[in-house]
Amino acid sequence: MTSIHRDKRLVAALAAGALLIAGCGGGGSGGAQSSSGQPSASTVSPSDMQNEQKAPDRLLIDVTIKGGEINPTNAQLEAKTNEPIVVKVDSDVADELHVHSTPDHTFKIEAKPGQQFQFSVDVPGKVDIELHHLEKTIATVQVQP
Amino acid sequence: MTDGSVVVLAHGLGGSSDLPIPYTYALIGAAWALTFTFGVVALAWRRPRFDPDKPGRALPLWVTTAVDAPATRWVLAAAGLLFAAWVAMAAMFGTADGNPLPGVFYVLMWVGLVASSLAIGPIWRAVSPVRTVYRLLRLARLRDGRGYPRQLGYWPAAFGLFAFVWLELASPDPGSLGAIKLWLWVYIVVTLTGAIVCGDKWFGRADPFEVYSVVASRFSPMRRNPQSGRIEIGNPFNHLPTMPIRPGTVTVLAVLLGSTAFDSFSAMPVWRNFVDRQTESAATATMLRTAGLLVFITVVVVTFWLAARATGGVDKRTRRELPGVMAHSLIPIVLGYVFAHYLSYLIERGQQTVIDLADPLGHGWNLFGLGNAEVNYVLSLHPSVLATIKVCCVVGGHVAGVIAAHDRALKVLPTGYQLTGQLAMMLVMVGYTFTGLYLLFGG
Repeated sequence: MTSIHRDKRLVAALAAGALLIAGCGGGGSGGAQSSSGQPSASTVSPSDMQNEQKAPDRLLIDVTIKGGEINPTNAQLEAKTNEPIVVKVDSDVADELHVHSTPDHTFKIEAKPGQQFQFSVDVPGKVDIELHHLEKTIATVQVQP
Repeated sequence: MTDGSVVVLAHGLGGSSDLPIPYTYALIGAAWALTFTFGVVALAWRRPRFDPDKPGRALPLWVTTAVDAPATRWVLAAAGLLFAAWVAMAAMFGTADGNPLPGVFYVLMWVGLVASSLAIGPIWRAVSPVRTVYRLLRLARLRDGRGYPRQLGYWPAAFGLFAFVWLELASPDPGSLGAIKLWLWVYIVVTLTGAIVCGDKWFGRADPFEVYSVVASRFSPMRRNPQSGRIEIGNPFNHLPTMPIRPGTVTVLAVLLGSTAFDSFSAMPVWRNFVDRQTESAATATMLRTAGLLVFITVVVVTFWLAARATGGVDKRTRRELPGVMAHSLIPIVLGYVFAHYLSYLIERGQQTVIDLADPLGHGWNLFGLGNAEVNYVLSLHPSVLATIKVCCVVGGHVAGVIAAHDRALKVLPTGYQLTGQLAMMLVMVGYTFTGLYLLFGG
């Protein structure tokens, strides 16, 4: 039950690092991070890249909070253990992102677009990602070994 | 760790929950449950076999002497009181983060109690801190209570158990220390007042934890010989019918079964979306979850009650008694279901709780060197093993329930109705098990 409050810069650095690694792991499809046009809550699709490339092992969840409307809610997603999970948040309100993995993670959300939070889960299980103050579940990620 | 806000936690414990069991596991489990059920009804024995008066294999006399020795009793009681004081210290002076209270409350007192009662018998009687306080008050010349009203039966316990599952599954913030502390204060005050007014029978009938412990212990191989009181090991099926039939027995079991099912159900996206759509505020969401919980419990009560009564050839009075007479056959189903759901909680969160207990105030204490220990996520790391165990628990509990119900039906139903009189009960039990497997797979 230890909530880890990461420094945002650290998160950003980690995210950048992990993207780099994920990109390298995918054999050079590292340019697939133009995520603004991504559909919400989908894995990064490599279809627009060279089609011999495998999808980089990474789960991207695109969250928008606008005027009390949250998108997505209660999404059902899948990931692998130790795979980076990136939550990209555009918000017009400050909140807290709670990740109920083992151990739990907590991230501070500010009222601004383009925030990225990254974590990975090393114990398999169903992980709820929740907005603390709005009391909504964004997604449940089934983390398989 | 620095901010004081209390995290909203699933089950009040946070962390991830179990992965759903694979589809094939659910199917195989369901197939076995169905096969066994009709195998038992059609092919099994035709004369009742289980009898609470059948003696088991007696353990050496010193075991009984040691267990019953006043010194042992006082040591156990003191240990319970000391542990309660330790947890109370954490609850009152500890930090919100890493506090052992939610783990002690939701894991040790709920699931751990069932496991230990199943293994060695109704342990809560021996360690209950409130009982100990009452005994000390009696030593200090507290007067006798006025006696426990018979017609109340297990109803206060059923209510207490409902209050527990309500806090865990329906209340707005099950993980908040404040909510758990309030619950425990009410529990202590109600239990102690009840005992002072009604005498010590109150504990056995109205303390939710003691009744839960007694329920689980009825399927334990460890028991006392009904005549000599000696501790023996015997067939759990001979022990099972000793579950006292009192007003509220069926409701107690239904609260346990229905709430566990609701726990899975409430994690399903269908239900969550429904709650989100229907409700604006946390209060209405709580009301909706409370209604959902009540519906699950009511469905169990009503289906079991109807199924137990659905037989021909009995007079009105017998029919009225049938649900109580059959109630013990729900115990293995409840136990199988509870373990299927909460085994990983017990093993993994249990470890975390023990580690947290070594440092109750967050001062970096390191009792017994436990502060350095790390949780071994042995079950979560092997999801297929966990899924197999879960299916075995559900199906095993179901089969045991069916066997117990079959045997009791042979005893209480008149000849000519013994086969047909069981059918409704078997169908209902199959229904519980299919629902249970479906929820484990889909929830």
